[in-house]
Amino acid sequence: MDFDLVAFGDAFPRLLPAALTNLTIALVAMTLALIGGTVLTVLRTTGIGLLTGAIGVLISFIRGTPILVQIFLFYYGLPALGLDLTPIQAGVLAIALNSSIFITEIMRGGLSGMDPGPVEAAIALGVRARTIWTRVILPQLYIRILPPLVNELTTIVKGTALLSVITVVEVLRTAQQIANTTFRPLEALLAAAIVLFALNLAISQLGRRLETRFAARRG
Amino acid sequence: MTLDFSVILDNWQLFASGLWMTLVVALLSIAAGFLLAIPVAIMALSHRRWLRTIAGAYVEWFRNIPFIVVLYIFFYGLPFMGLRLPEPVVGGIALAFYASTYFSEVIRGAVLAVPKGQLEAARAVGMSYFMGMREVVAPQTLRLLLPPSTNTAISMIKETSVLSTITVAEITYQGLVVQGATFAPFEVFLTTAALYWLITSAFAHGMHRVERAAGAAQGSQQARHSLADKYLQLGMRRNK
Repeated sequence: MDFDLVAFGDAFPRLLPAALTNLTIALVAMTLALIGGTVLTVLRTTGIGLLTGAIGVLISFIRGTPILVQIFLFYYGLPALGLDLTPIQAGVLAIALNSSIFITEIMRGGLSGMDPGPVEAAIALGVRARTIWTRVILPQLYIRILPPLVNELTTIVKGTALLSVITVVEVLRTAQQIANTTFRPLEALLAAAIVLFALNLAISQLGRRLETRFAARRG
Repeated sequence: MTLDFSVILDNWQLFASGLWMTLVVALLSIAAGFLLAIPVAIMALSHRRWLRTIAGAYVEWFRNIPFIVVLYIFFYGLPFMGLRLPEPVVGGIALAFYASTYFSEVIRGAVLAVPKGQLEAARAVGMSYFMGMREVVAPQTLRLLLPPSTNTAISMIKETSVLSTITVAEITYQGLVVQGATFAPFEVFLTTAALYWLITSAFAHGMHRVERAAGAAQGSQQARHSLADKYLQLGMRRNK
C-alpha cells in the first residue's frame, strides 16, 4: 500500500476550519481555568484548615487521574446527576477544571519565588488584603508565570483532541470522518497531526513574543 | 439520585483485569521510553549540529501533538508498513515513543545541570568523552533525574487511559464496558478515577522514598517576613 499524497493534501481544506473548533474550545477553557486557578490560589492562602484540606484533596485527585476519565465523568456522569450538558460543554468544563488545578500549582510556584518586599510594604501601609491581591501580587504573578501558562495552553489544545472521543467534531474527529469516506486513515491522521502541531507551534511562538515584550516593559 | 456502588462489586473482575493491564502496559512502555530517550538525549547534547537538529525535531514533533493522535498514527501506520501487532503492543510502542521525548528532555536537563568542569576534568585525566559521561557525569545526574522522571512517568501512567480508544482492555476501557452494561456512569468513572489515583499516588510515594534514599537535598527556603509569608507561601502539603 502506498501513501496517497492526494488524499493527504485533500484532508487539509476540511481540517483547517476544524482547528478553529479546537482553538475556540481551548481559549474558553483557558479563560475559565485562569479564573478558577486564581480563585483556588487565593482560597489556599486563607489558612482555613477545612478549605485548604479540601482543595488539597481536589488537587491530588485531578493531578492523579487521567483527563480522559475526567472528561468521561463530566460527559457521562453529570447527566446521571440531572445536569444535562452538550458534549462541548462537558468537554470544556472538564478541561477547565483540570487546567485550573495545574494553573493554581503554577501560581504556587510563582508565588514562592516572588520578592516579598512589595507585599511587606503594602502590609506595613495597611493596604487591604483584597487590594494586595489585585494590585500587588496578581499583576506581578501573571507576568512571572507567563511561560508556564503558555505551556499550559498547548497542553489544553492537546486535551481538546480527546473530545473527539465524546463526539465533539474537532480536528481529530474530522480526520476520522474523512478516513471513513476515503478509506485512507493514515493520510488523514498525519494531516490532522500537522494541523495540531502547527496550532501549538503558533501558540508557543506567540507566547515567546509576549514574554520578550513583558520582559522589556519590566526593564 | 443515590450512588449505588454495588455495580462496581458485581464487576470487580473486569476492573481487576483492567488494573493489571494498565500496570503492565505503563511499566513496560515507561521503561522502554526511558531507554529510547537516552540516545535522543545524547544526540541533543552532541556538538554536531545536524544531530541536535534531528533530536530537536523529534522531540518538538511529539511534544506538540496530542498522544491520542500519535496513538492513532501508530495504530493505522504499523499495519500500513505490514506490521500487524496486538493492540496492547501497538499502544505500548506508541506510548514508549511519546514518553521518550519527555524523558530525553529530563535527561538533557540533568546532564546540563552537572557542572561542565566535571567532564572537562575527566577528559583531562585521559578519559574518552563516553567514558567521562558514563563514569563521572552519569552518576551525578541520578539524583537530578529522579524528581522530573517521576513526574513524567506519572503523566505516562495517565496517558495509558487513551489506549482505551484502540480497545486495549485497561482500566478506562473496562470502565466504559461496565458503564455500557450498568448505566451507572458516575459510580463507574469515579471508581475508574480512584484506581488511577491509587496507582499514581502509590508510585509517587514510592519514588519519593527512593529520592530520599538517594539523598536528594531539599532546596533551602528563602527567609521571609511571616506576614508576607501568609500571601506568598502555599506549601502546606506536598502534592506530588
